[in-house]
Amino acid sequence: MEHRTLSRRRLLGVSLGGVGGALLGLSGCGASSGSASAGTDHLSLWYWKGSLSDKLLATARRGVPGRPGLKVRGSQIPDSDIDSKVRTSLAARAYVPDITVANSDNLATFFPDENEFLDLRELGAEKVRDRYLDWKWKSCFTPSGRMIGFPLDAGPTALYYRRDLFRQAGLAYEPKDVAEAAPTWEKFIAAGKTLRAKAPGRPYLVSNIGNVFQQILLQSTRQFVDADNRFIGDQQHVRRAWDLSVEILRQGLSARITDGTPDYNSAMSGSRVATMTTAVWAIYGLKDSAPKTSGAWRLTTLPDGPGNYGGSYMTLTRYCRDPEAGFAFLTWLLSPENQLKSYQEMALFPTTPASYADPAMHTPDPFFGGQQPIDVFGPAAEKAPVVYFSPYEESANIPFFQELTNVEMLGKNPERAWRDAVNTAATTLSRLGVS
Amino acid sequence: MATVLDPAGAPAADERRPDRRSRSTAPGGRRRHVPPLLAISPFYVLFAVFGVFPVVFSLYLSFQDWDGIGDMRFVGLQQYGWLLQDSVFWHSVLNTFEIWFLSTVPMLFLALVLAFLLHSQVRFTGAYRVAYFIPNVTSMVAMTIVFGSVFAQSGLANSALRAIGLDGIGWLSSEWGIKSSVSIMIIWRWVGYNALIFLAGLQAIPTEHFEAARVDGANSWQTLFRVVVPQLRPVILFAAVTSTINGLQIFTESQVLFQSTDVGTTGGPGQEGMTIVLYLWQKAFKEHQFGYGAAMGWLLFAIIAVFTIINWRLVSGSDRDDRRPGLAGLLRRKGARNGR
Repeated sequence: MEHRTLSRRRLLGVSLGGVGGALLGLSGCGASSGSASAGTDHLSLWYWKGSLSDKLLATARRGVPGRPGLKVRGSQIPDSDIDSKVRTSLAARAYVPDITVANSDNLATFFPDENEFLDLRELGAEKVRDRYLDWKWKSCFTPSGRMIGFPLDAGPTALYYRRDLFRQAGLAYEPKDVAEAAPTWEKFIAAGKTLRAKAPGRPYLVSNIGNVFQQILLQSTRQFVDADNRFIGDQQHVRRAWDLSVEILRQGLSARITDGTPDYNSAMSGSRVATMTTAVWAIYGLKDSAPKTSGAWRLTTLPDGPGNYGGSYMTLTRYCRDPEAGFAFLTWLLSPENQLKSYQEMALFPTTPASYADPAMHTPDPFFGGQQPIDVFGPAAEKAPVVYFSPYEESANIPFFQELTNVEMLGKNPERAWRDAVNTAATTLSRLGVS
Repeated sequence: MATVLDPAGAPAADERRPDRRSRSTAPGGRRRHVPPLLAISPFYVLFAVFGVFPVVFSLYLSFQDWDGIGDMRFVGLQQYGWLLQDSVFWHSVLNTFEIWFLSTVPMLFLALVLAFLLHSQVRFTGAYRVAYFIPNVTSMVAMTIVFGSVFAQSGLANSALRAIGLDGIGWLSSEWGIKSSVSIMIIWRWVGYNALIFLAGLQAIPTEHFEAARVDGANSWQTLFRVVVPQLRPVILFAAVTSTINGLQIFTESQVLFQSTDVGTTGGPGQEGMTIVLYLWQKAFKEHQFGYGAAMGWLLFAIIAVFTIINWRLVSGSDRDDRRPGLAGLLRRKGARNGR
């Protein structure tokens, strides 16, 4: 009995505490500033684990060098939640961070609400423009010309391939020769046929065709919706990516396994897949999932040239208490010197070409047989095309990836799958006001 | 209701009025109501903020087109019109029912058998009960990751099949493979929970009935189906109703199993693992179509309501006697526990 009374009293205490908290939260909604850092001596920053350098953030917490009195405190938000958290706080106009990180495909989803973010040109962004990659800089702008993002990291792409398997199949096997032998996707597919026929263990060319489809699209300046809000996913640039992907499947060159699954890991470490068409950040996943293949991999230019896959931006929200200070923090954190530090510490690929020449980036990687990854990724980063992403990209491209999976895994007729993808995307987009 | 309409109730109300006035001027007055009202207020305040408001707002939202930040655009019933024409939505409804059927029927049967076994004289009953309940309190995400590797092409499930000379199954890459995998995970999670509910019902059956069955020479199966099942019917129907409500809200299993960076969370090949709630989540929280998601939520509510009414009719139709209040009480308790 005694126990019961106690727990009841505690329960009451806890619930009253909850009411207090709820009321406090409600009163917070009325706060005029709306910034999460209101009433403190620092600016607030939201990021997800691995998106920024921990060491530089620790420095900024004590004080940004060269900016007396400027302190920035980062809060780690799980990367799956940060987008909805930022949205929720912006919708509530309360507890909005002064500074946030946005993923490459998320930045565009904020375009319809561009006024929620500060135009960084008004804070003097043009002064540092020549430090950054041109295409990355241009991708920070909304269709109406506001600069709402600041270049954080890039995701230049390359062809990862197994030198040993290429060699055993009698193909060109040194990075320069492979790039010359497979300058186009068509030649890449032809090499894949030889590989599958002649290399021991009959390895597949790719793990699945979704990656190839993605990379061919990223080599195009146009995606699924153009800057005038028109659906262009049924046009030639998408159709070409589709056809080439289906061709790889038809030739039996796809292992038909989803990346990141246990099957994928076992296929990679078991040498069942000979290439990867992906970005610089995939290095760490590969080293993790297939440590036994160390030394066998090499990097070279992607067929038809490189693109950019992933990479992030930083933004200042309109609730930022001190825009000048926030911008000073961005230029400090993302300066060429600090991007170099971030690369060394967190493998964030710099958006500042000046960093690429630094000797610190030219360390040979034993996983790639002593090759220096920067030799491939540096030029790739500089050559990536300027791509326009619309806010509705995800709604538009999901049906295409989905139907491609259906073709690959369930054997659906590619022609029917294409028609279904175009129809589903068009219907979804018309609902969203895209014509 | 009856007292208001009853003419005899009217004078009673008149009598109460002066009484109430005198009470408010009496020592202590209305203030004496304050502490108890304050004591029960936390629930109502929290319920208003986190319960009533979101429900009302989601209904309002279902008539709007909203990306979560900017201005809302009124689209009215058109939202529901779009939804009714959305083939993916109907596919997800069908998937949800298929998965629900594939999981609930074997689960309730297994739970009954387990409860029956637990009820018989076995040693370490307590340990078994704990063991059966553990899957229900394990993190679903962690569990799904484990099942993901069990059902992989080269995983444990296929290794076992090959060991007995069968071909491997595309657990995560074929229509019925996907549905079976998700169903097996649901069975794993809920079978112990339902077994414990059944066990509680079993223990309410007088031991004389079991003894009589034994004296009559019934074996275990006969006892189960002739003695236990008929007497357990209200409990079984309760489990069926709650399993229906849970089953129509399947989400985590599919979401974690088929997460992929390029494809998004679309429920795997052929979208065979796409459930109603997963589609709702994908549209609202991944593609920022909050109005569409809200409309889907209300359609799901309607579907669940229809099924609960059907269940209810089945119950009240077959149990006009004393069992009915018992089941209603059970349902109420379950509802309060789930916060629904």
